[in-house]
Amino acid sequence: MGSSDLDRQIRMLRNCEIISELEVKELCYKAREILIEESNVQQVDAPVTICGDIHGQFYDLKELFRVGGECPDTNYLFMGDFVDRGFYSVETFLLLLALKVRYPDRITLIRGNHESRQITQVYGFYDECLRKYGSANVWRYCCEIFDYLSLAAIIGDKIFCVHGGLSPVIQTVDQIRTIDRKQEVPHTGAMCDLLWSDPDDISEWGLSPRGAGYLFGESAVKSFLAVNDLDLIARAHQLVMEGYKLMFDEKIVTVWSAPNYCYRCGNVAAILEFDENLEKTFKIFHATPQEARGVPSKKPVPDYFL
Amino acid sequence: MAFVAYSAYGGDTAMNPEMTENTLYPIAVLIDELKHDDLSLRLNAIRRLSTIAQALGPERTRSELIPFLDESIEDEDEILLAIAEELGDFVEYVGGPEQAHVLLRPLENLASVEETVVRDKAVASINKVSEGLTETALETYFVPMLKRLHGADWFTSRSSAACLFAVAYPRVSAALQEEMRQAYGQLCQDTTPMVRRAAATRLSEFVKVLQPEHVVSVAIPYFNYLSVDDQDSVRLLTVESLMTIAKALTTEEVGQYLVESFRSLCMDKSWRVRYMVAEKFVELTKVMAPHMSKEEVITIFTNLIKDVEAEVRTAICSQIPGFGELVGRDDVLEKIYPCLKELVSDPSQPVRSAFASHISGLASLFGKEATHQYLLPLFLRLLKDDFPEVRLNIISKLDKVNGVIGIELLSEQLLPAIMELAEDKQWRVRLAIIEYIPLLATQLGRDFFDEQLTHLCMSWLGDRVYSIREAATHNLKNLTDVFGVDWAKATIIPKILGLSNHPNYLYRMTTIFALTTIAPSVTPEVIQSSILPTLEGLVTDEIPNIRFNVAKSLQVLAPIMKQSTELQPLLESQVMPMLTKLSQDPDQDVQFYAQCATQAIQA
Repeated sequence: MGSSDLDRQIRMLRNCEIISELEVKELCYKAREILIEESNVQQVDAPVTICGDIHGQFYDLKELFRVGGECPDTNYLFMGDFVDRGFYSVETFLLLLALKVRYPDRITLIRGNHESRQITQVYGFYDECLRKYGSANVWRYCCEIFDYLSLAAIIGDKIFCVHGGLSPVIQTVDQIRTIDRKQEVPHTGAMCDLLWSDPDDISEWGLSPRGAGYLFGESAVKSFLAVNDLDLIARAHQLVMEGYKLMFDEKIVTVWSAPNYCYRCGNVAAILEFDENLEKTFKIFHATPQEARGVPSKKPVPDYFL
Repeated sequence: MAFVAYSAYGGDTAMNPEMTENTLYPIAVLIDELKHDDLSLRLNAIRRLSTIAQALGPERTRSELIPFLDESIEDEDEILLAIAEELGDFVEYVGGPEQAHVLLRPLENLASVEETVVRDKAVASINKVSEGLTETALETYFVPMLKRLHGADWFTSRSSAACLFAVAYPRVSAALQEEMRQAYGQLCQDTTPMVRRAAATRLSEFVKVLQPEHVVSVAIPYFNYLSVDDQDSVRLLTVESLMTIAKALTTEEVGQYLVESFRSLCMDKSWRVRYMVAEKFVELTKVMAPHMSKEEVITIFTNLIKDVEAEVRTAICSQIPGFGELVGRDDVLEKIYPCLKELVSDPSQPVRSAFASHISGLASLFGKEATHQYLLPLFLRLLKDDFPEVRLNIISKLDKVNGVIGIELLSEQLLPAIMELAEDKQWRVRLAIIEYIPLLATQLGRDFFDEQLTHLCMSWLGDRVYSIREAATHNLKNLTDVFGVDWAKATIIPKILGLSNHPNYLYRMTTIFALTTIAPSVTPEVIQSSILPTLEGLVTDEIPNIRFNVAKSLQVLAPIMKQSTELQPLLESQVMPMLTKLSQDPDQDVQFYAQCATQAIQA
């Protein structure tokens, strides 16, 4: 697959048009070659703009790029939950993946709890693949890629980025590096906690109402930062009406990038820009207005409808 | 049938002698495809019907092809539509105007089918074909066809009939004309509204061919039936013919026969009828004015402005300037302005939008003082409307106001509102204003612009939102086109260059974008002395994104530089060394874009 093919696919995906099943297969093959080389905790250089959950809200992802700048001009780190719930999980994930393959040094994708076979079968990605392609093959290719996504990232040795949060069984970043990540997200353990946990106003650790991961408090955050010589934890995973939320003396930040979540929550979204000196700027954005969404293109109905 | 028997590949000797074997084959294929099972192939063959006819020659076209098409009436609508269209241009293929009447038979069938678009196309083709018919052919073939359609049981044929009167009427005998006038009257009172609608739509064109003595005796009664039809879809079509009939009558006759109908259409209980009146109100009023008092006309106008239906209010907004001219300033101020004021806060956005588009048209009528006193307050309110479209409609028409009250007053009053929008929290509002800046620039002139708006334009380069920064660069290019290169050199370029030292890479990148965007609008000297040195400085930027954007920029500059004799040598001496350095960059994206640019220069 030459770069001109890939550029064409990126153009199509930017227009919210899907690429063929065969192209998806090739794209995933290329992506796997790149992702397999990445560490569980990927090192990312500043400047970079970090983004939280997208959840298949393709037109709002376009708005995100309008506000933050297009890839590759602006560097991006997406902290997982690309798929499920929105109407365009396929286009959203494939666009991000195609950008990753085309510009591997300009965009980093880490895994969210929705990048999982079990979850996507319940929350929409599986059904969407079946509806748009007429078979579950695209879902299978994508799920295989999910297993290769990094679990966390560290920006400029100072900012730890992860989808969910901390785990009681993990004290150092090196412990994360020893996980064998190439598997479906387990129901318990370190890998599960990184993708599922939430910060809460408790001292250390608590049970999570989600049934997976833990609640972690201020002292857990501060000791993790101290042990690993870090300044800040950036994570996503929780809807924040104002787009972002700082907690525990600004030692942890939640960034949420799906405006008007599920097309009805009425929240704004945010991205967080770190410049070359790790100075941070939050950028708030709203859902794309209806007139900028474009008319959904009429696609031939898959054979199984006939 | 005969035609079918010939089938493909026949190579019959009766074919045009000049046709060779080679041209014959595709024709044979087309003929076969006319009967193909696949719709798209049939459609394709119909689209090339003229080729087939040319190959067959006029005689066989008449005796075989036309009867064959005549029997295709049971086909899909898509095919019928194509046939109806093709036959309109078929006169030359059947042997010229003397033979054109053979086309009427298939077209008559098509003019009777269920599907409206097919009928409309067939009617258009009949009208086209009939223009060339001789008077004898009209009376022998056309009029009997018209009678059949007119007398048919099903409404489709009768609707089509209504559309065929005007073309034949002037060219048939007086006796037939008399018959045709009566026949049209029957259509105006037809039992189905579809036929009455057709009659109402075509009344204008029939009136145009009627002899003057028949307009009053024939057209007026027909118009009167239709304008009080119980279906509003029929009544609304009569507004058009009201104008045509009025033009064919003397002023007294208009007063005698039409004013009453006009009054009732203006107050029709259906908003769709009132909408049609509102759309053409000025034109209609000009014709009716001699017979109505000014008070009455103004009352009707203000009633339409206060209409309960937003669509009607939207339509009447377009008539405000024209109507103002008609009644004069004093009456507008005294009697109409109070209602106009209300439109500023109309609950419907399209109404406010239309109002914003047209209200500035009153400025020239009002003159300086009244514009200042009465119109400016409305503009200010509209500029703060929630909907960007409303605000933009006001801004885009400011030149009309500028001409009346002068730039000073305009700026003093309106600029603060524009500035406020330019710094709106919503980036789309800011974007909308940016798009209007070049227009404002041409309206305001350079000195004034520099004083008030240049600073703002530059500040957008540092906007938080990428799309605004991008739009800001395009805006600067447009401004350079308006105010010239010297202005750009003195005013904007120094500020753009200043951004190249910004601590944040996203803003340094804006420098590159801005320089690249304005490059086609500046002189070679500016490229040499400002743009290239700045890019050169950024080649060693710490951030790869900046470095590969330098390469992208050089790729855009290359064709511009190639066209200039002064810059051409610099490609080798300055640009290539930069690109060589960039192609050895450790970052793969920098390498990639440097190679692209190198290839573009060497190509």
